[in-house]
Amino acid sequence: MAVAVVLLSGAPFHGGCCRHKVFLSLLGPLLSNSKLYSSYRRPGAEPKKKLSWQNADFSFKKSIDHLKTQLSLLTKETQDYLQGPGGHPLSQHVLEQTRVLWQFRSQEDLNKWVISSDVEIGGKSKVYIKLGRNNQAALLYGTLNTEVPRDGETKYSGYCSMRSRPAVGSFNRKKYYDWSNFNSLYLRVRGDGRPWMVNIYTDPYFSHQKDDLYSYFMFTRGGPYWEEIKIPFSKFFFSSRGRVQDNQHPVWLDKASFLTLGLTIGDKVDGPFQLEIDFIGLLNDRAHREEFAYETYDKN
Amino acid sequence: FTTSLLLGTTMTISSNHWIMAWAGLEINTLAILPMISKSHHPRAIEAATKYFLTQATASALLLFSSMINAWQTGQWDITQLTNPTSCLILTSAIAMKLGLVPFHFWFPEVLQGAPLTTGLLLSTLMKFPPITLLYMTSPSLNPTVLTFMAILSTALGGWMGLNQTQIRKILAFSSISHLGWMTIIISYNPKLTLLNFYLYALMTTATFLTLNSTKASKLSTLMTTWTKAPALNAALLLTLLSLAGLPPLTGFLPKWLIIQELTKQDMA
Repeated sequence: MAVAVVLLSGAPFHGGCCRHKVFLSLLGPLLSNSKLYSSYRRPGAEPKKKLSWQNADFSFKKSIDHLKTQLSLLTKETQDYLQGPGGHPLSQHVLEQTRVLWQFRSQEDLNKWVISSDVEIGGKSKVYIKLGRNNQAALLYGTLNTEVPRDGETKYSGYCSMRSRPAVGSFNRKKYYDWSNFNSLYLRVRGDGRPWMVNIYTDPYFSHQKDDLYSYFMFTRGGPYWEEIKIPFSKFFFSSRGRVQDNQHPVWLDKASFLTLGLTIGDKVDGPFQLEIDFIGLLNDRAHREEFAYETYDKN
Repeated sequence: FTTSLLLGTTMTISSNHWIMAWAGLEINTLAILPMISKSHHPRAIEAATKYFLTQATASALLLFSSMINAWQTGQWDITQLTNPTSCLILTSAIAMKLGLVPFHFWFPEVLQGAPLTTGLLLSTLMKFPPITLLYMTSPSLNPTVLTFMAILSTALGGWMGLNQTQIRKILAFSSISHLGWMTIIISYNPKLTLLNFYLYALMTTATFLTLNSTKASKLSTLMTTWTKAPALNAALLLTLLSLAGLPPLTGFLPKWLIIQELTKQDMA
């Protein structure tokens, strides 16, 4: 504090215009809204132009429209609640053996997914998504580039992914789904022979579990024919921060809240890739009796 | 751990001093945590963490309430709780311990994350010490607050249990609802609270043990248990109807007596 006073009092020797710069140079790191521990921006990250509160839209008309939309969603949710679990009658919930979660027939269906690649860490892979021929499927395509960004800390690169947006109800509340009636994931895809990874992120309550992920592989055949891939949920293995954990356990689907399904390609092979997805759904395969594919260790 | 649970419960229900009661509650909380997180699944750990946080908060509030009363009145006797602030804080502490509305949000999640036998203990044995404390301090507590919480618990327990598909969550909401019935009558006739609790514990024990033997944790599994154990399934039907409070089954008795008592108090 005394140093600041001395420097400020010395500022008039350099001219009044410098006083402001001296003040800011002393208190800049405290006044800036970047993270306190590092102001380094990764090569692929976009510079933050606006503060989060500056993005707020204070338009009255828009807020009334938004409120009307949310109230109509709330009304629909209440009506669904009166009908039964998930908006369907209880008999449907108990007897159903298949359910289509996502199918790609229009741009709205595509908007439920987010694509990303290693550009966010400074890589050079490209990924795009569009509707396929005759609006019958989604086409995820791009180019994988395993060139590591030269920032001194990244060791690996080369991935592209497509993740579903988590479902939100009225007033941006989390939607809870019960997938416990099903035991397999069912995908109708047409790939190019490259292996993909299917990731399930169950939104856990506490922050120390936010890096947890359940993954399994999806090997595509390639060629002109569609293939129907069934991945039992018992096969999904548990990983945290990208590392497969020793303590394995099956994924619980009773509270699929904010659940995100993701498809990732990262097979370390440079070149183009392409995946067409017709639909993704759930299946209750009565023939699949396995509870969990990996050994669980009983601790004392 | 089971021995510790019994020790904690016995300490609380047989104590006259607030510190002993609090110590018994803490022993109970700590003893059940490894039982909830036994499977080491993230959901079980989450349930144990939520349970610990809510119960620790409630214990702290309970101790705070007893300390205020001791500061004002100079004594630590459980039955001599006279300070109004203490009574209010104790009411909220007990509500949090039991899972009464509006402190009920943790209960379904904790029960869902725990195994069935631990769920049984959470619904019955872990409710016993707080009910005992409520019983002992009932003359001093504010009837309006208790009635308000009880009515909300009964209503919300029934409403929120409607569209559940997981049996443990349904039983959690059933527990919240029953606790509402127990709480509403405690200011007027505490013995009916105890009768309600004993019958509720009996019915819930029967339900949980049946579900444990058939390994049914969701409605779709419950649909197919009749092929494996038809007699047990029929008994489960009667137990669930009794839990719902349908005459002429046992579960109707406490509800009838409570409504009769409330009518005498010009409340029903």
